[in-house]
Amino acid sequence: MKLKIYILIIILSLPVTLGAQEKYKISSNFKDVPFIDFVSEVERILPVKFFYIEEWVKDLRLGDYPDCTSLSCVMDNLLRGTTLYYYIDTFGNVVITSNYAVKVTATSEEKNNKFLPPTDYSSSAENQRTTGNTSVEIGNPAEKNKPGNVIISGYINNKDTKETVSGVTVFIQQLKAGSISNEYGFYTLTLPRGVHILQFSFIGMREKIVNLNLYGPGELNVEMNSILIPLKETVVSAQKSMTLQRFEVGAEKINITSFKLLPTSMGESDIIKSVLLIPGVQSVGEGSAGFNVRGGSADQNLILLYGAPIYNSSHFFGFFSAVNSDIIKDVTLYKGGIPSRYGGRISSVLDIGSREGNRKEFAGNAGISPITTHISVEGPIIKDTLTYILTARTTYSNWIFGLISDPSLHKSRASFYDLNGKITYDLNKNNKIDFSAYTSHDSFRFNSDTVYSYNNNIFALKWRHFFNSRFFSSLSVNNSSYYYDITSQFLPSEAFVLSHRVNSTGLKADFNWFLGRNEINFGLDLTRYSISPGNYLPGTDSSLVIPRKIMKEQALEGALYLDDKFMLTDYLSVNVGIRMSTFFSYGPKSVMIYNPEYSKNKSTIIDTLNFKPGAITSKYGGPEFRVSLNFRISDKNSFKINYNRTRQYIHLLSNSTSISPTDTWKLSDYYLKPQIGDQIAVGFYEMLFKNNFEASAELYYKEIKNMVDFKGGTTLVMDENIEKDFVNMRGKAYGLELVLKKTEGKIRYSIGYTYSKTYVKSLGSFSEEVINSGKWFPTNFDKPSDLVITFNYLFSRRFSFSSNYIWSSGRPITYPIATYRVNNKLMVTYSDRNEYRIPDYSRLDLSLRVSGNLKSHRIAHPYWTFSIYNVLGRQNVYSVYFKKEGDIVYGYKLSVFGRAIPSVTFSFDF
Amino acid sequence: MKYTQKILLLTVLFLNGCISQFIPNTKEGKEMLIVEGLITDKPGTNMIKLSRSMPLGKRSTANPVSGCNVSISDDLGSRVSFNESEEGTYVAPGFFHGIIGRFYTLHITQFTESNTFNFESYPMELKPVPPIDSVYYEKVIIQESIAGSMPQEGCQVFVNTHDATNQCRFYRWEYTETWKMEIPYPVTNKICYITDKSDIINVKSTSSLEEDRINRYPLNFISNLTDRLSMKYSILVNQYSLNEDEYLYWEKLQNISEQVGGLYDMIPAAIPSNIYCIEDPNEKVLGYFSVSASSSKRTFIKNYFRGLAKMYPDDVCISDTIYGSDPIPFLNSSVWILESSSRPPYSVITSKKGCADCTVRGTTVIPEFWIEGK
Repeated sequence: MKLKIYILIIILSLPVTLGAQEKYKISSNFKDVPFIDFVSEVERILPVKFFYIEEWVKDLRLGDYPDCTSLSCVMDNLLRGTTLYYYIDTFGNVVITSNYAVKVTATSEEKNNKFLPPTDYSSSAENQRTTGNTSVEIGNPAEKNKPGNVIISGYINNKDTKETVSGVTVFIQQLKAGSISNEYGFYTLTLPRGVHILQFSFIGMREKIVNLNLYGPGELNVEMNSILIPLKETVVSAQKSMTLQRFEVGAEKINITSFKLLPTSMGESDIIKSVLLIPGVQSVGEGSAGFNVRGGSADQNLILLYGAPIYNSSHFFGFFSAVNSDIIKDVTLYKGGIPSRYGGRISSVLDIGSREGNRKEFAGNAGISPITTHISVEGPIIKDTLTYILTARTTYSNWIFGLISDPSLHKSRASFYDLNGKITYDLNKNNKIDFSAYTSHDSFRFNSDTVYSYNNNIFALKWRHFFNSRFFSSLSVNNSSYYYDITSQFLPSEAFVLSHRVNSTGLKADFNWFLGRNEINFGLDLTRYSISPGNYLPGTDSSLVIPRKIMKEQALEGALYLDDKFMLTDYLSVNVGIRMSTFFSYGPKSVMIYNPEYSKNKSTIIDTLNFKPGAITSKYGGPEFRVSLNFRISDKNSFKINYNRTRQYIHLLSNSTSISPTDTWKLSDYYLKPQIGDQIAVGFYEMLFKNNFEASAELYYKEIKNMVDFKGGTTLVMDENIEKDFVNMRGKAYGLELVLKKTEGKIRYSIGYTYSKTYVKSLGSFSEEVINSGKWFPTNFDKPSDLVITFNYLFSRRFSFSSNYIWSSGRPITYPIATYRVNNKLMVTYSDRNEYRIPDYSRLDLSLRVSGNLKSHRIAHPYWTFSIYNVLGRQNVYSVYFKKEGDIVYGYKLSVFGRAIPSVTFSFDF
Repeated sequence: MKYTQKILLLTVLFLNGCISQFIPNTKEGKEMLIVEGLITDKPGTNMIKLSRSMPLGKRSTANPVSGCNVSISDDLGSRVSFNESEEGTYVAPGFFHGIIGRFYTLHITQFTESNTFNFESYPMELKPVPPIDSVYYEKVIIQESIAGSMPQEGCQVFVNTHDATNQCRFYRWEYTETWKMEIPYPVTNKICYITDKSDIINVKSTSSLEEDRINRYPLNFISNLTDRLSMKYSILVNQYSLNEDEYLYWEKLQNISEQVGGLYDMIPAAIPSNIYCIEDPNEKVLGYFSVSASSSKRTFIKNYFRGLAKMYPDDVCISDTIYGSDPIPFLNSSVWILESSSRPPYSVITSKKGCADCTVRGTTVIPEFWIEGK
């Protein structure tokens, strides 16, 4: 590819005359001569020089062209029906190109010769829009009247970085047909022969139109230009027409460029906060960790970075995402219609696509905001072959705490950092290897006696092998771990270190096969888990604490999957998938047996089962069906329906309203059954007003089995018989998500409204295991009404404005309702769980982005982002808590952002 | 997570967040039966108190339930009936005391207008308890001297105990404070003894420790804002043995009663009692039937603590000074004399009875256990 670009540049800089072709006379007959030999012979006898890539011509042999006397005649005959094109300039350079050789002018089309197109290198988007169209011929024109459809396929690359681009919509307006590039940037289309206009579109990239004369099957590789960063488009959501194409009801793709302009709370672009703007996604409160998708709890989201799960997705309790946005290429959230290659969590998959280093040149980005600073560098080690990207982010909040004179705050500390690195190596055209590493660290301390710290670590090695242009594979090995330590020195005799550790190693093999009208995916997923539920060790030598370690939990999760996306007709596509998942937990392990006549308790233990190392303590498994139908009613609207079942074998134990960094993970075992989720969803999508508007309505119903809650007041850490406190729960959720988006023009906006309900009920039979008398009650994150409006105005190339407005119902809460005294102590009793609600939530944010000089060749591109978070200054209630003061219980409302929070971020790309 | 909440508050301060008081608007709750029961291995202290819960937002006062039949039975089949000594308080016969190793079950029969409810507890084992090794205190500086002002000192009371037999792994403490105080005016009831009972849950497990030993358990902190430390102070500590289930009950109760409702706080829930209603399992009972061996120890504190707050400052107590010898209207009903003199005739009066009469807070009778002097 590189070669070609240079050649094109050379050519464009040369004087071109159309008559040049007739200059070179050929008399010999080269029948059946391989092209390479032909070239060397011609170069010997004529003053010409050929430029081409060997692969293109390796099977090419010359035919019998008795009427030809000129080089151009031979070449015309030879290349007819192939995807190759040639051009001869005045100096005798013969340039062969693949696919791209295109003519734009009508005159050249009439002559039925193949010319190189004038390629547009200007950086102005408007220019590109009108002149960037290219024409391509694929196949032998002689076959143009053959019946039947043909298949074309190809790769889509980013022209600047050479990274493949996934999620690009390829759309043919007249046929109402299209496709989306897969994770390797590969797409495939089945089309009738004839003339088509292919439209390639993707957020943050210039739309590309290709006029295709299709005679037979072939390959069409496309390079797309990214828009300079300050000019990036600012839509939050999926591309137009893509929604019509996708199979899944409830898949959302967010491009990094789109969320970088969203208003920020503390000057930091944040992926999880962008995800929260998607209808159907909610959180317990502002800045709380985790998010809830369609009524699922926070541990039911599979968050993948480098293909490995992240066990804690936030820094600073959720005020920041754990993943630095500098490494994000795109993010896909599956709220439903989870493809069968994903498994292990029941509510959603958030797949964070990571960037690869720039293949052409050294580049970087640095920024500073009120709380954090970040830097990233990237570039080739070997040009086009071996690249790297490194990013780092940290806070300087410790320094700020140090400046505060209040003694309690002065000694407090809270800080985090994260580091990401990735090396990509293209062994050859068909083999790519990349290695990625990620680490994040948080540490906080209140008043110097207790220190909390927690860490995520991920390593991933991935080998992508392309068997051929329609059969891909990817093999990856990854390790992800999460651990926290709590160190307390409060009482020297009881100084302790409490730690919790999760470690998982995954092996994943994925195959992606394009077979006619089918796209078949199959593969294998194996994960080995090891969890140290809790280790409680003496903190100092003088500590009296007995070292105590709760037995490790170990398990193996395996899954095989197969799915087929099949275009039944041009109007109806089906995606049928099955994922067979199994789970084994194994010893060494001691399992307590309880008297079944009583609620499980320390005193109702009647026996202990001891499992030897490697002995299977429990096994679970079963099929997970994933089925989608996409029915295109017309080119303007489509109707989709899907069903999926998901199983989850690892659970986060939490008995607080929001998940916290010190919650512990637990594997399914003898007592804890896997969670099973079933979701059925239907969606209707429509393009309005010349496709400038996109409207959609999605309706879902979901059921969750084997969720776990706890008996009241249970302490979850360091309990080796935690099963005694389990309360088995069942969940259900349903909702309607309505979205209207304007995706074109200088002013863009989207309005999303969600009405949803999410309930749980306890299934226990003993009074301790019954919550709200066993009736359905709302979950902690049940917010029935949720309105999100985003608005973007690109008023010039250097200034862009964006804002969002959020309104939602208050979350449920349990209030104290009565007081009593026990042993002279004033106690309170509570209402039914989640019987009341905190007040509604409403917030408006504004942001203005100003770019420095936009000259493309400047060394650095500086830009400023001015944001105001919570412009209305509304004191949204974050939590309500109660305190006894004397004989009376008082309630308090706590707002995190009590007023508008302005912030300024300065960044520059270099 | 107690600390988590603190960190959050800290972040909130950092971000200009705010906290405001409000009273939640809730429906009137159903009244529930509250049981406070304690059977020990000592005679004379065995009683069961029955009351009803109070709606939120009202000052919590006693709401006793009388007219019930209360008895206990043990695992050997003997049964002891309790008599209602005062409203809602049912006491065991004076001779009765629990025996270590026995299991006791509480029985309550409540008669309402329409129904009769029978409540019963699970059988509870009486476990032995070791004696308290020591009860002692340390001065704590609350605030260092600022700009020449007096530093402020408080007092932390600790308990040490150990069980060489490792039998008592779960402890609960209650304490009763008695202190001598003085009104700084020449009134009749000038010196009194005030008694107050502990109102916080103090439980501790040694199950995570090698030795069944508790050192420096911080039982009670006495701040400088009371007059406990002004003259002489005494604390009687009762130590009770618990079985693990009861320990977990108190721990859970403590977990949800400290601070609830925050995002990182435990979701509040009713902590199930060891007492249930036989007829209707949905009839909620709160409280606990405790069966414990007990040991006790008393300590006196007489020391000079700096920076104690004045409990009877003149600007609070003195309402007016009346000159002349005319009778003072509403004397001893709305106003009381703090100080008076006949030459020249004047009276310093107060509108707060407490300033003129220490029996408002305590008693002038010297407690039996009181030892004056050092």
